[in-house]
Amino acid sequence: MQHLDEGTIHSWLDGALSADEAVRVEVHVKECPQCAAAVAEARGFIAGSSRILTALDNAPRGVMPAAVARKRVDSIVWRVAATVLVVAAGTLVVVRNRGADEQLMSAKTERVTLSSQPSAATEQQAPPAGGPASTSTAGTSPKAAGGGAPAIARSGVSAQRTTALAGQPAGVSGLAGAPTSQAPTFAPSRVAAVAAMDAAAEPERLKVVGSPQGIGANVTLYEVAPGDTVTLTESIPISLNSIVVRGAIRAPMAQQSVGKSAAAPSKGRADAATTVAQDSQRAGGISLAAPAVSAPIASQVEMANQLNAITWTDPITRTTLTLSGRMSEARLQELRIRIDRERAAAAAKKNP
Amino acid sequence: MTDVERLFRTYNAALVRYLTRRLGDRDWAEEVAQETFVRALRQTSIQNERAWLFAVATNLVRDEARKDMRRRKHLALLAEQEREEVVEPEETTLERAQEAAMARKAVDALAERDRLALLMREEGLDYNEIAEALQLSPGSVGTTLSRARRRLVESYEALQKNREEREKNAAS
Repeated sequence: MQHLDEGTIHSWLDGALSADEAVRVEVHVKECPQCAAAVAEARGFIAGSSRILTALDNAPRGVMPAAVARKRVDSIVWRVAATVLVVAAGTLVVVRNRGADEQLMSAKTERVTLSSQPSAATEQQAPPAGGPASTSTAGTSPKAAGGGAPAIARSGVSAQRTTALAGQPAGVSGLAGAPTSQAPTFAPSRVAAVAAMDAAAEPERLKVVGSPQGIGANVTLYEVAPGDTVTLTESIPISLNSIVVRGAIRAPMAQQSVGKSAAAPSKGRADAATTVAQDSQRAGGISLAAPAVSAPIASQVEMANQLNAITWTDPITRTTLTLSGRMSEARLQELRIRIDRERAAAAAKKNP
Repeated sequence: MTDVERLFRTYNAALVRYLTRRLGDRDWAEEVAQETFVRALRQTSIQNERAWLFAVATNLVRDEARKDMRRRKHLALLAEQEREEVVEPEETTLERAQEAAMARKAVDALAERDRLALLMREEGLDYNEIAEALQLSPGSVGTTLSRARRRLVESYEALQKNREEREKNAAS
């Protein structure tokens, strides 16, 4: 065996050689005084460089302003918390809006236009900068603030549940005036319902390619052909009371002036939602997580025109199901029959 | 605990030490480490966490260093001037400060790749992780590290020798 090169010796001492190579090196070092000396020298370099580097650990805090530095110590935790809050709030707003539309559609028509998506995006993206802008956020998010009491209650609940889900104090102060009776029991039961339906909705033949987690609706993506997917959205009935009213008044409310919503009787509740919206915006500014929430919304809006959808009510679970995809309604009806069959089979399997 | 929280708790200390040694400024190091974890937030999945974090931190330093080089040089100069004006500290502290200054000089004298590989190894990264973070072939890590260690120790010893001679001259 040739003499060992320095790199191999360091690799060996660092435990980076394979077992075979390590044995070969070890045998050679025992027999070759020259390489044994090189190994001893390498050990010295390893220990010496470690010691030298340790001297760098008491580096000064000189160059950067001390006040800024101290403030940063806990900020990562807050960034993480803020991101969780933004994602939770974003999911809630988007999914609940979608749920509202589906309820509305099931009552009125079989055709889905997904017209609500742009307004969901607006809620996420409205900048809180300055007085007028933040007022408009308040006017957009709880659109119902100027219009009807049930919708106001809904915005309050939305805000509260956001807080409950995120487990963070942010936004609590703004919620002082919000109704407190609905939220605590609401969220857990909803989550349980989603979980149960996830299990029940598991299809056996259609290929599931994704099931984005959401609160307020259960979404399953099926692949019917390569690159050709349909979306099954299952609204959870518990949201019917609060959502249907809001959806019904959405169109007129969207056109109402900002001033009217600000002057609404339940201003405190509108403020509660505003606080959450602003907190989300602020947190988004820090963590840059907001784009991640809003990007998919934008793409959904763009796709909306080309989508067809059918809506029906599941006879067993009484939930509203919406199937949408880039294909004819007849094809969707076909798929609906298959999905119904598979859901029934899955349910039967689960509760024989 | 979220994934990023876990990452932070697992790797923050090593990352800050690595960056402190690399940058010579703890505040700056903490700043870069935190930015690294913020970047991790945006990742959907990271295959080799430690290699990824050290690579991103290294790139952040490189980018920022390029941007802030002139500003920092100026500030460092000011800080040095201020230190010179300060009353001489007691001997043990002086001794330690001199050691740190020599270590800094010796580390700075290394080639960038050697320096980074060595600092990463000191934080426990294995050869594969170092190779991944620095985009080296795994087979060359041993050579890189052996060269870095030898040069670091040799230049530190040279600086030490210089200092001793200066002190001897001053005494005589």
